[in-house]
Amino acid sequence: MKIHLKTALGYIKRSPFQALAALFVLTLTFFVGTILAVLVYSSANLLNYFETRPQIITFLKDEITPENVSALQNKLSADVRVKDVRYVSKEEALEIYKQATSDNPLLSELVSPTIFPASLEFSVTDLSFAQEVINEIKEEGIVDSVGFTASLGGEKTLEDVVGRLRTLTLYLRIGGGVFVGVLAGTSLLVILVITGMRITTRRGEIEILNLIGATPAFIRSPIILEALIYSSVGAFVGWLLAFLIWLYATPALIGYFGDIPILPKGTLNLFGLFAIILVGELIIGLGLALSGSYLAVSRARRNR
Amino acid sequence: MVKLTHVSKSFGEIKALVDVSFEIKKGEFVFITGPSGAGKTTILKLILREILPTSGQVVFDGEDIVNLPQEKVPYLRQKIGVVFQDYKVLPERTVRENVEVPLAVTGVNPDEWAARVNQVLKLVGLDKRSELFPAQLSGGEIQRVSLARALVVNPKLVMADEPTGNLDWETGDAIMELFEKINKEGKTVIMATHNKHVVERLKKRVIELKDGKMVGQTRVKSEGEEKVEEKKEEEPRQEEKTEEKPKMKVKVEEV
Repeated sequence: MKIHLKTALGYIKRSPFQALAALFVLTLTFFVGTILAVLVYSSANLLNYFETRPQIITFLKDEITPENVSALQNKLSADVRVKDVRYVSKEEALEIYKQATSDNPLLSELVSPTIFPASLEFSVTDLSFAQEVINEIKEEGIVDSVGFTASLGGEKTLEDVVGRLRTLTLYLRIGGGVFVGVLAGTSLLVILVITGMRITTRRGEIEILNLIGATPAFIRSPIILEALIYSSVGAFVGWLLAFLIWLYATPALIGYFGDIPILPKGTLNLFGLFAIILVGELIIGLGLALSGSYLAVSRARRNR
Repeated sequence: MVKLTHVSKSFGEIKALVDVSFEIKKGEFVFITGPSGAGKTTILKLILREILPTSGQVVFDGEDIVNLPQEKVPYLRQKIGVVFQDYKVLPERTVRENVEVPLAVTGVNPDEWAARVNQVLKLVGLDKRSELFPAQLSGGEIQRVSLARALVVNPKLVMADEPTGNLDWETGDAIMELFEKINKEGKTVIMATHNKHVVERLKKRVIELKDGKMVGQTRVKSEGEEKVEEKKEEEPRQEEKTEEKPKMKVKVEEV
């Protein structure tokens, strides 16, 4: 392996511009790949955040007993269309109101817990279930009224937001995937061309190695190793650049999105996400290098 | 060690070898001589399985190498050390690296490389030039690199194609002394040359070719310098009688 590595590094040193061209293209591919991977992750998180907000609030009648509430809560929890069921008492409702009107204490002084209804808040696993769940729960005797989360401005607005996010995420995935695919294809071609050129310029050396009994695997090794060096260095540098940009932008993004977890919470989790992306990109780079160099070698053998 | 039986080789219309048969035993030193185009290099290429004969059988180390599967050819070549006329050293590697290559090819443990390389470089007198590149060496020195590369894996057979062709007399003699030395150590040596001076000086068995045909075999007994020559004409082989212009063949018997 040492002799192959030495040979591969020798090839790179002797044709630095070829090496730079390969590295630039691969770096660009993996840079864009990393940016898009994080964007896809963030958009998925954003979508998930809105999809899992307490979307339906069931206001309960004043005369309810704890047994009634518990029975309805259990019923909802057992429903596969429903998730995150939470009971909000009158006192808790007052607290929420106080927090919401903390900038105007006078408003909270004028109210008492009795004017707030207790409620059951929950989300649906898919927004398409919302209407039928609402219709069903309205039939319950202890339910006074049912509504969607008010913070987003009602049922229509919430559906619009989630719908738009879904479209955006879909476009990001398809568009990003196509873009990265084109870049990966270009990288593959560059590796193929460089490996092909290497085989052509090293024809004499290959002939000598053949004559002294080198196996095809031995002859191929430094050429494939060279492609692996390009892809792994390209993957790492592209990833590193994107990582630094994300690190730089993270405080501003977190400040802008607030509670919405578009990036993993905690430094370790953030690093973990990027580590997973790096491993994935190194594997993709390995695939690109192996397929590109094998294609070039087999083409050279066919043309011999 | 090497046996050619009724070997012919044609390149299109050109007949490079015509019905050549001979056997070389283990430990022998054999010259293959003849003018340019006689077929000397073709024989070496056949033994190395660089080319295949048009007809006939080539056996090396008990193995029919004509029918050897392609994937086994590298392992055949690993048993043969070759000194090429045009050296075929790797120009971008140092002397040491050039000699290390066959060790890597044959999978010798890297821990053994230094000792083995030093040993052969000392044998060929290049131990003080091991870190130089071929471009920094003279023709004779490059030929020695080629020889060191051929010897480092301790091959069963060493073949040399005109090893003195590009060298002056003095350097050529030095190279020949090396070949004689390795032959005395037990290696089988086949050398293709048209250098009569070299052939006469070493007094070894000679297989003589002309126009692709074996025209004679001369054995020089080393001690008494008694020269035994055999040149015998024979009738064309049965299958060749059907040709329009049958060629006269020379049958060579074992001396």
